[in-house]
Order: sequence, then C-alpha cells, then structure tokens
Amino acid sequence: MVLSQRILTLQRELPEQIRNIQTAADAKESMRRTEQEKACRLRLELLENDVKSSQEKFGEIIGEWSTANQKITPQELQELLNNQQKLSSALLDDKKRVINELQQELKVGDDRYVKDLRKHAEELGLMMERVEDQIKTLKMAYREELAHIQRINQQESEVLLTTDKAEWEQRLKALWDKELDRLMQRQEKVEEYNEKVEDVVLETRDQFNDKQLGHNEKLMAMVRERKQLEAASMSTQRILTVIPKPDGPDNLIQRKLRLVRKEMLNLKAQYSSQQKCITQMKRQLTDRRNRIVQQHGHTQKKIQHFAVADVKKFEQMWLMIEDEVKQLVERVLVLDSIIYKQHLGLAWERPHMAFMGRSGLIQPQKQTQSPTHQAVTQVIRTQDLQGSQRMTDASVGPMLKTDAESVTTEVHKAESEGGAEVEERKLSNEALKTVMELLCDELGFLFEEKFLSQLAPLEEEEQAVMKLSSLFSAFGISKREVPRLAQVLLKHKNQKRLQTEDVCVETGNSSDKAEDAGASCMSHVTSEHMDLNHLLPALKSFLEQHMRSREVPASQNLSFQCEAVRDTSEDQAYWESMSNVISEDKVKVWEAAESKIKQYHAELTEISELITETLSLEQQNAELRVLLQQYLQSIVSVCVCVCVNLSVDKVSDSCHAVLLVIISERK
Amino acid sequence: MSRSPYLQGATINPAEDFRRMRRIVAEDLDWTLVIVPCLSKLCLQSFIRNFEEKPIFEELSPTQRDFVQEGLSTSLPLNLTANLISDGVFWKRCCEERWDLCDVSHYGHSWKRMFFERHMENIIELFIPYSTEEKTVLEMVPLCKNYVKRLNISQLLPPIREPEGEEEDELGLDSPYQNENEGQSMDHFNFKILLSKLTNLEELHLVYKVNQCGMNFEWQMFEMTDKDCKSLASALKSCKTLKILRLHESHIEDKKCLLLVKHLLDHPSLRELDFSHNLIGDKGARAVAKLLNKSQLETLNLYDNDIRDHGAKALAHALAKNPTLQSLNLRLNRVGDEGGQAIANALLNNKTLSHLHLGANKVTEPTVITLAKVIAQNNTLKSINISCNCLGEDGGKALEEAMSYNTSITECDVCLTGMGEQSVSFINQAVWTNKKNAI
Repeated sequence: MVLSQRILTLQRELPEQIRNIQTAADAKESMRRTEQEKACRLRLELLENDVKSSQEKFGEIIGEWSTANQKITPQELQELLNNQQKLSSALLDDKKRVINELQQELKVGDDRYVKDLRKHAEELGLMMERVEDQIKTLKMAYREELAHIQRINQQESEVLLTTDKAEWEQRLKALWDKELDRLMQRQEKVEEYNEKVEDVVLETRDQFNDKQLGHNEKLMAMVRERKQLEAASMSTQRILTVIPKPDGPDNLIQRKLRLVRKEMLNLKAQYSSQQKCITQMKRQLTDRRNRIVQQHGHTQKKIQHFAVADVKKFEQMWLMIEDEVKQLVERVLVLDSIIYKQHLGLAWERPHMAFMGRSGLIQPQKQTQSPTHQAVTQVIRTQDLQGSQRMTDASVGPMLKTDAESVTTEVHKAESEGGAEVEERKLSNEALKTVMELLCDELGFLFEEKFLSQLAPLEEEEQAVMKLSSLFSAFGISKREVPRLAQVLLKHKNQKRLQTEDVCVETGNSSDKAEDAGASCMSHVTSEHMDLNHLLPALKSFLEQHMRSREVPASQNLSFQCEAVRDTSEDQAYWESMSNVISEDKVKVWEAAESKIKQYHAELTEISELITETLSLEQQNAELRVLLQQYLQSIVSVCVCVCVNLSVDKVSDSCHAVLLVIISERK
Repeated sequence: MSRSPYLQGATINPAEDFRRMRRIVAEDLDWTLVIVPCLSKLCLQSFIRNFEEKPIFEELSPTQRDFVQEGLSTSLPLNLTANLISDGVFWKRCCEERWDLCDVSHYGHSWKRMFFERHMENIIELFIPYSTEEKTVLEMVPLCKNYVKRLNISQLLPPIREPEGEEEDELGLDSPYQNENEGQSMDHFNFKILLSKLTNLEELHLVYKVNQCGMNFEWQMFEMTDKDCKSLASALKSCKTLKILRLHESHIEDKKCLLLVKHLLDHPSLRELDFSHNLIGDKGARAVAKLLNKSQLETLNLYDNDIRDHGAKALAHALAKNPTLQSLNLRLNRVGDEGGQAIANALLNNKTLSHLHLGANKVTEPTVITLAKVIAQNNTLKSINISCNCLGEDGGKALEEAMSYNTSITECDVCLTGMGEQSVSFINQAVWTNKKNAI
C-alpha cells in the first residue's frame, strides 16, 4: 500500500510539473501581453505627443508664412526663409527620430520574438525531457511495484507452501505411525493364531492317532472274529455239504433273478432307444411316402390330362380325315356312275356302304369283353405260341388265328410297357396258365349253371377263358393284376409247403424233397402241389389286400385305360373298306374307259380343227357364190358355176364320211 | 465364381462395392493433406484474383470473407471496395500500407473509418483552389460518407499565385513588389460543397494554415478570409450532425466570429465549440454568449483570445441562465476583475458548470473573494484553474477558507498567484482529500 500511495503521489506530482511549465508559459505570455499593451500605449502617447508638437510647429511655420507677406526687404525675407527652413528641418528631424525609434522598437520586438521562439523551443525541449523523465520514473515505480507485488506474492505462496508442506508431513507421519501400530498388532495376532493353530493341529493329530490305534485294534479284533467265523462256517459248510441246505438254491435263484432283472432293465433301455429310432425312421418314411404319393398323384393327373387331350385330338383328326375320305369316295362314286351310265351305258347301282352313314370314332363294340378277358386270352395264347416254338416235335398244333395274333401281341406290348414288373415277366407263362386252370377248376362252384351251359358248346380252352374273365370281372381284378395274383398264389403255396417241410425236419425226414421244391419252386409248379385247402385262403387274402389297396385308384385308372387301349382292329378294316369302294375290276374298266375317252378326245380335237377349215371353205364358197352371181348375170359363166357346185358337194361328202367313222368307233 | 450376367445384374454388383472400398494411399511419405489446398480455398483465391471483374463478397460466409480480405490487393479501386467490403483486415492492410502510424483506438477501432477519414483529410489538405478540380473531392463523397465521422484537417492550401509572383518569391526580392500582388483572392477550400453531403460527420477540426511553408511565409497563409468565413458558416449550418467544431489558429476576429456564430445559432446537435488561438474580442464574446443560450453547447473553449471585461460580463450573463454548459475555458484572455466577479456571481446560480478555467487573466483579489463564496456553497464545480493571476495573500486566505467547506473540487490550480505557501499547501491538501473521497 505504501508503494501504491507513492505511485499515486507520483501520478499527482509529475503532471503538476508539466502544468507548472504551462502556467509559467501562460504567465510569461500574459506578462508579455501586458508589456506589449503598455508599450503600445506609450507608443501611442508618444505618437500623439509627436503629432501635437509637430502640428504646433507646423502651425508656427504656417503663421510665419503669413508674416512673410509683411516683410518687404529681401534680407528679412531671406532670414525668414532660413528660419522657416530650420523649423521645417527640425520638424523633419523630429519625424525621422520618431521613425527611427519605431524602427528600433520593431527591431527589438523582432529580436525578442526570436528570443521568445528560442525560449519556447527550449521550454518545449525541457518539457519533453521532463515528460520522458517522468515516464521513466513512472515506469521504474511501476516496475518496482510489480516486483514488490511479485515478491509479496511469492513470499505468501512460499509461506503457504511451507505451512502446507509441514501440515502434510505431519499428517503423513501420523498416518505412518498409525499404520505401523496396526501392522504390529496384526503381526502379534498372526503369531497368536499360528500358535493356536499349531496347538490345534497337535491335538487333532494326537486324537487321530489315538482313534486310529483304537480302530486298528477293533479291526484286528474283527478280523480275528471273522477268521473264527470263517473257520466256523467252513466247518458248518462241511456239515452242510453232507446235508442239503434249503437256503442254497434260494440264494442262487435270487442272484439269477437279480441278473435277469438287470438284463431286463438293459434290454428295456435298448428297447426304448430302438423305439425312438424306429419312430423317427417311421416319421421320415411316412413323410417320404406322402411325398411320393403326391408325386404319383401329380403324374397320374398329368397322364390323364394327356390321354384326354390325345383322345380329343385323335377324334378331331379322325373326323377330319373321315370327312375328306367321304368326299373323295363320293366323288369317286359320282365318277363311277358317270362312267357306267354314260360311257358303258350300263345301269349303275350304288354299292352298299355302311360307313358312309356313320361318323366319329369306332366305339369298342364288345363292352362285355373286358381287359381281363384279353389278358387271359393273351396268356393262354402266348403260352401256346411259346409252346409251339419250344416244342420241336410240334405235337400240339397251333391254335392261333392269324387275324387275332396282331391284336394279342399289341395287348401284350401295352401291358409290358404299362408297368408290368420284371418279376412278373420272369414268371413263366406256363406257371400262369396252370394257376389259371387251377383257379378255373377250383372256383367252379362260383359259376352258375346257366352260364356253364351256355359255355358248353365252346372249346375247352375258350370255356376256361370265359370263365376266368367272368371270375376276374366279378372280383374286380384288372388284367394287370392277374400275374400278381398268380405270384401271390404261388408264394402262398410255397410257404405252406415250407411249413410242411419244417414239420418234416422236425419229424426227421430227409430234406431231399425240400431241396427239390426250392429249386423248382417258381418255374415248375405242378398241380400236384396245389390243393384246394391252400388255394382258397390265398385267394381270399389276396383279394382282401387287393380290395384295400386298390379300391380307390382302380376305379379311376380303369376309365381312361379303357380309352387308351381302344380297339384299333376295326379301324383298319374301316379304312380299307373305304379304299375298296372301287374294286379291282372297276379299276380295270376305268382304265379301259380312260383310254377310249382319250382316243375320242383326240378325234374330237381333229374334228374341231376340220370344222374351222370347213368354216373358212364355206366363207370362200360364199364369196365365190357372190362372184358367180355376178358372173351369172352374164351368160358365159354357167360352166364355172357347175364346177364350183361340184367342189362344194365333194367337201360336204368327206365330212360326212368322217363323222360316220367316229360314230362307229364309239359304238 | 462364374455367375451368369443375369444374376450379377439382378443382385448388388460386388465389383462396384469393391471399387467403392478403395482408397488412395500416398506412396510419398512426406505427403500430407495439409499441403494440398482445399478446393474452397482455391475458389476463394480465384475470387480474389478476379475481384475487379466480378466482385463476390457478400455471398460468402464470415470465415471466407476473412480469407478474401487477407488476399485482396490494396490497389483495387475504391469505388469497388468502399461499399462492398466490410470493416476488417483488408482496410487494416490498406491503412498500414499508406501510413506508418496507425492508432485504431482513435477511430472507434474501425480500420475502415480510419482509412476513409484519413483519405478524405489527405484529399482536402492537398486541395489547391482553382487548380485542383472539385470533382476529386465530390467523387469520394458517396464512397466515404457512411464511414467518415471526424475530419481533422491540419492545413488548407491557398491558391497558387501567378508564375511571376512565385518566381519573385523564390528570388526573394524585396517586399513592396509582393504586396502589390496581394490584391488577388486568397480563398481556401470551400466546405460548402462537402459538409452537407457527409451525413455521418460529427467532428470537424479546422486550421486555416499551411504546414511547412518554409521561406514562403506570409501572414495571409495563416488567415481565414471573409469569403472563407461565409462559406464555412453556411456549410456548418447545413451540416446537421456536427457535434464538435474546432477552429484553431485561423485569425478569427470579431466580425468573422459574429458571422460564424450567427449561422450556428439553434444548431440541432452542436455540443462543443472551440475557438482557441484566435483574435476574438468583446464583440465576438458577446455573440458567443448569445449562442450559449441558443444551443445545447456543453463545452466552450475560448483559450488564447482577446476577451476583456465586457465580453466576460456577457458570458457571465449567459452562464447564469444556461442549463447545459459544463466546461468553460477562458484561459489567456484579458478578463479583469469586473468580468471575473460577474462570472463568479453567475456561478452562484449555475448548477451545471463543472470545469472553469480563468488562468492567465487579469483577475485580482475581489474576484477571488467572490469565487470563494461560490466554492463554499457550489457542489457541482469539480475543477477550477485561476493560475497566473495576481490574487495576493488575502485572496489565498479566502480561498483556503472556502476550500475547507467544499467537497466536490478535485482539481484546483493556484500556481503563480502570489498566495502564501501555507494557503497553497492547504488548498492542495483539501483537493487531495476530495480526490481520494471521489475515488
């Protein structure tokens, strides 16, 4: 605060010095002004006095001049003149003196002005110096104060620092001491606890040792006892071996039971795991099955769709072609009738044409003849065919009809293509036939009397076929399933036989026959091995199975399969009948007529040419006639006229002859 | 990876993504992004280069404007930059290029204002009547009228005389020849054309003199002619925003003072009038006194004039009724006791004047005794200066006594007044305590 006060005083005093200079200058200036004013006043007074004195003198001089007129003598005048001159010169001198004084004053003033300027300059310099000095001193003062403040600040901060440090150290020391005390206490406690722990360990060890010893003794005692007991038991066993113990077997059974239980448990576990696996597999398989069934349904739908489309197309094609053909036939017939009526002059009658009346597809005419029937016939016939081929001696004559052969083969092909399994193919036709025969025989009781009587006139084979077909239709078995049926029947039979064979093994019979049967089980089954007992249940089971599995799809499939495999045998005949509307003989007649007509045509062309000729000749003739007419007017031309007439006649004769020839030819 | 083109087209093109993932990695390790100038910087640089053809400034953001101001050439024509570029670095650069000393605090911390004020001053100071065209000044007016608040003109050149005259001057021939040529008019720059157009002008400092005239010195160079006075008076009247008028060392006599004051009567904004270092006498003082009550003057400075008792009486009469004047300076005048007493008596009624300067006058004891009465009861007066007057011991004692009652005066100069040492020191002590209390 002392310093700041000093600065304040400095701040107050230092400008005062400057102000003093200023006031001093002001004072000087005011002094100068007063002096100047005084000088001015003096000067003015002096000038006024001068003016007054000079005016007085001037008045004197003027007054003298007035007296001059009174002077008469030149001396006086001269004197006066001189006097006047003196006076005026005195006046002039006065004036000059005043001027000089003024000039001197001016000079003095100038000098003083210059001096003042210099002084001012000096003062300015002084002022600046002082200002600079002041600035310096102020700066010094400020610096000192700053240093002082800094010093004080530093001291204060140092003091604060030291006190803080001291406090810090004190506190730290106290803390360390406390920590040390605590540490010591802890160490002591640790030692105490260690001792305690050791004591406890020792105690427990002693106790343990004591107890172990006791146990050992007890153990020894027990061992001894056991040995004694063993010895006793040995002796008792020895006794017991002699006497059958009632307890022994019980023990054994119990042990066994336990074992069995354990096994059972194991098995149960296995069973459950297996079951799980199976259920899983089952689920997967059912899924797959469902998928496959779906796919199957899709494909079937597709097939149906295509079949229907094909049929429609076929029908359309058929109709179109039929129309065309009918038109052609109509034309042919018309031509034929023309030829007969006009050329040959014969009466023509329209040949009988059944096909003309109808249109559209030929429907299967025999509705009763079901596919199964075909299959059966096919089986029988192929068997026959194969038999005829196989048997070199050809003892059995071929019973085939040539026209039916193609149909059966076709059916066979369709069947084989339609998804007959390979296994079924393997199944020999021979076996099939035997099975069929067997069926026919065994199921005879199913037929009605009337039916049998109707069949009586037929051949044996035909009878069998009819029977089977009716049977299968009654069962609802399609021709496809016929082989399967046969297979099932055969299998069933084999099983039965195997069972019988097993029985044979048990009974100790030789296995020769079984081996034979195994070898010939599929191919060479004879009727000997089949009896009624086996056949019926087999058939029953098959039918049941079949009904279950095929109930739904069978009905669906049948509908379009029938269409797909429609009879084409009629078609050929139908078309051929159309083509044979004009027979060979007629064709020959037609050819002959054609050649004749060609000749006739040639003749006609010739005639037409000749007609043109005749026309030209006629024209000539007419002209000539005109000429003749002209000529006739003159008498001289008679001869010429005759000649011309003659020539005309000749021409007409030749024409007539030609016509006659043509007519004869036509006849 | 051999996808069909269809798939590639349909899904998102992986190749495109891959390309987007690429980055340029500089192989040159010294390469840094700092060296590469931003595109925006480059754009701004091109703006700067083509500023003359296509000036773009107002659309830019503040930081961009700063950048442009840094880069613009200071030689650009003023009519382009004056109203476009705001106050900032550009004007600082312009100022520093032209003048060595640049104290922006005197110009309200505005470099633009500083530039235009000094530019205008330079133009006026170098204006030579009848040879410089008025157009040069008038051209600047629309550019700088928004920024010029103060004109501090330190010289006004007289018209150039006929070549023969100048030659004679140079030859330094005797004075009678010179005087013959002085019949020619010596009018200076006519402010009439300028002041009415500077709509923001608040201060005008004028000196009718020539700096560095050297050996061509003539009294007429330091005078204001009648015509000058007329034109200036009407110009001042037209300048409605003027607050401060200073007219120093211009040889203003009573007649010119009368003329000026007549035009300043009822000026709407004038606050400070300064006619120091002139030749104003009692008549002029009377005119100024009339002005005091017909305006809102707060400061009146008549330092270094020739005012005597009559003028002082007139001023005192005005002061007694004036409610606005705060500072009156009559230093270095010829006021006697009569005038001094009149002023002191006026202060008995005045409650607004705070600064009074009566230094270097012809005031004596009676005035001081009246002043002592004032000091004893007036609390508005803060500073009083009666130095360089013959006050005498008695006056000192009276003042001493008065000061003991006063608490408001913080400055009191009584040097060179012939007072006793004791009273001077007492007065200083009293002032000192007052000052301390004031702080």
